[in-house]
Amino acid sequence: MDAEPRPLSFRKVTKSFGTVRALKPVSLQVDSGEFVTLLGPSGSGKTTLLNIAAGFLPSDSGALFIGDINVTELPARKRNIGMVFQSYALFPHLSVFENVAYGLRVRGLPRADISRRVTETLLMVQLDGYGPRRIGQLSGGQQQRVALARAMVIEPAVLLMDEPLGALDRQLRKHVQLEIRRLHRKLGRTTLYVTHDQEEALVMSDRIGVMRDGRIEQIGTPDDLYRRPVNAFVASFLGESNLLRGRVVQCGGTEASITVQELSVDVAGPCALGLSVGGEAAALIRPEAVTFDVETDVGLPARVVEVVYLGELLAVRFTLSSGQDFWCRCFSHAQVPAENREVRLRWRTEDVRILPLDMAGSEGDVTC
Amino acid sequence: MTEKSRVLSTIAGSIVLAFLVLPIFAVVPASFNHASFIRIPPEAMSLRWYEVFLNDSEWWKALLASFRVGLLATTISVVLGTAAAIGLERVTPRIRAILLGVVLSPLIVPVIMTSIALYYIMRPLGLHGTIFGLAIGHSLLALPFVVVNVGISLRSIDPNCTRAAEGLGASPLRVFRTVTLPLILPGLAGGSAFAFITSFDEVVVSIFLAGVQAKTLPVKIWEAIRVEFTPVTAVASTVLLAITLLLFFGVKVAGRRLASESAPHGR
Repeated sequence: MDAEPRPLSFRKVTKSFGTVRALKPVSLQVDSGEFVTLLGPSGSGKTTLLNIAAGFLPSDSGALFIGDINVTELPARKRNIGMVFQSYALFPHLSVFENVAYGLRVRGLPRADISRRVTETLLMVQLDGYGPRRIGQLSGGQQQRVALARAMVIEPAVLLMDEPLGALDRQLRKHVQLEIRRLHRKLGRTTLYVTHDQEEALVMSDRIGVMRDGRIEQIGTPDDLYRRPVNAFVASFLGESNLLRGRVVQCGGTEASITVQELSVDVAGPCALGLSVGGEAAALIRPEAVTFDVETDVGLPARVVEVVYLGELLAVRFTLSSGQDFWCRCFSHAQVPAENREVRLRWRTEDVRILPLDMAGSEGDVTC
Repeated sequence: MTEKSRVLSTIAGSIVLAFLVLPIFAVVPASFNHASFIRIPPEAMSLRWYEVFLNDSEWWKALLASFRVGLLATTISVVLGTAAAIGLERVTPRIRAILLGVVLSPLIVPVIMTSIALYYIMRPLGLHGTIFGLAIGHSLLALPFVVVNVGISLRSIDPNCTRAAEGLGASPLRVFRTVTLPLILPGLAGGSAFAFITSFDEVVVSIFLAGVQAKTLPVKIWEAIRVEFTPVTAVASTVLLAITLLLFFGVKVAGRRLASESAPHGR
């Protein structure tokens, strides 16, 4: 078995369960040593994709490559992958040491090598000295780290993780997120990670693929996805967002403007692909890009509904004249607006993004 | 619950319990009887009939035949039953329900019917009156207990456990040997015990299939009680009961130890 991380690539992979198309053709390349996260609501196909990569599920069509090797027809045991499950799936009848050693024993390594590598790996996940313990004696966080050690000790070509932090409480989850990031930086394993938690994805990933209905809506760096989402779904799934819906009145390359009829206002800004004049679209304005002012009559009129104190930040909820909610975030040392106060909301044109409402139905649309 | 109804339910419960265990209290004391006839309660205590039992090679032969048939039937039913239980976990629920019905049918079909069928099959094959033939017949009755017990154990395993082993490079056989088998050990132990006990005190099939060679203890007791109504049959029954109880509690204790060793805590 080789110890080098390899790129992982899906080429037009499809999968159906009965009449449900779990994966429409999906292509995805995870570069050697890269950390890619698949983010999406449940049922979006992310776990199916992971199970196909692991070899636990056969794909209907398409191919899967690890390095230069087509592994589509290869059984799971011959793929040299490390898998971390949400349920940990540790062997309850074996000690911590034997759990981690399992993959090395299967590979027929000499006893001394096994002992050395298991000890090293347990040290790396900060479980040195836990070798003789039984799995049942460990806490959830410790079990999670044993699962991580068991997957990494075999030096897999690809590391696959299926919501490994799902069963941990919030505090511990944050800690383990940073831990996994540290280990990834240190070891440089090609990693495909699945989660529905956007914060987890943002903290750990080199790139994030947002999935919906069996397809990858957009893949890019966390910054790309946050600043330049391709559609309203991605925008609302990643981070907090204010979306104003309207019709495209003008669309010229990288800029567009829409009319929001309910508010009788035009919003302009940089735009995504897939817009057509007269078509439905939404203007994305992130809460942190919004400022409010009481002593002006320029800007969108709104009324303060509530002010939520978040520590270093304040979240302010406004109601627009259409009744729609609109959020703003600012540092808490800013002046706190009084509730029920009428204000004007403002933002810079370059902080707006005009997005097609839905990619799923827009494949045939004329793009501008 | 009022005081009165509590007293009433206690009395009712006691009567039912007494009814369930009464045969034991009748037969066991009878085996210690000195007289030449079974008398309940016994008049004078003695180990006389135990001496007779132990000194009679016919009884020993029957006990030995019971053990041989029991062990063979247990082996056959555990191997087939475990394979069946694993297979049942891998098919769709609809097919599983149908197949499980077939596997459990020996519990529903009247034993006398099974016995007659076995008799007609075994005779031309030359298996009638052999240890092996009888063991096959008993396996049929023991199989459901193995399938059910092992099935319960199998369903308690996280399916990702076997996937994890596979992902780490283990062949299907190795996954079974190092992960599945240790985890279903409690079910396997329970299933084996039930299988052995089923065979050990089985009478109906045994009467049909037992010849001279495969005369098990229950068959011998049944024969003895028809010719000589001596307390030695009570002794044989007591021996049967003692071995069954020993096995039952032995497996209970072992099963609990296995379960507590492999049980995941703190989930």
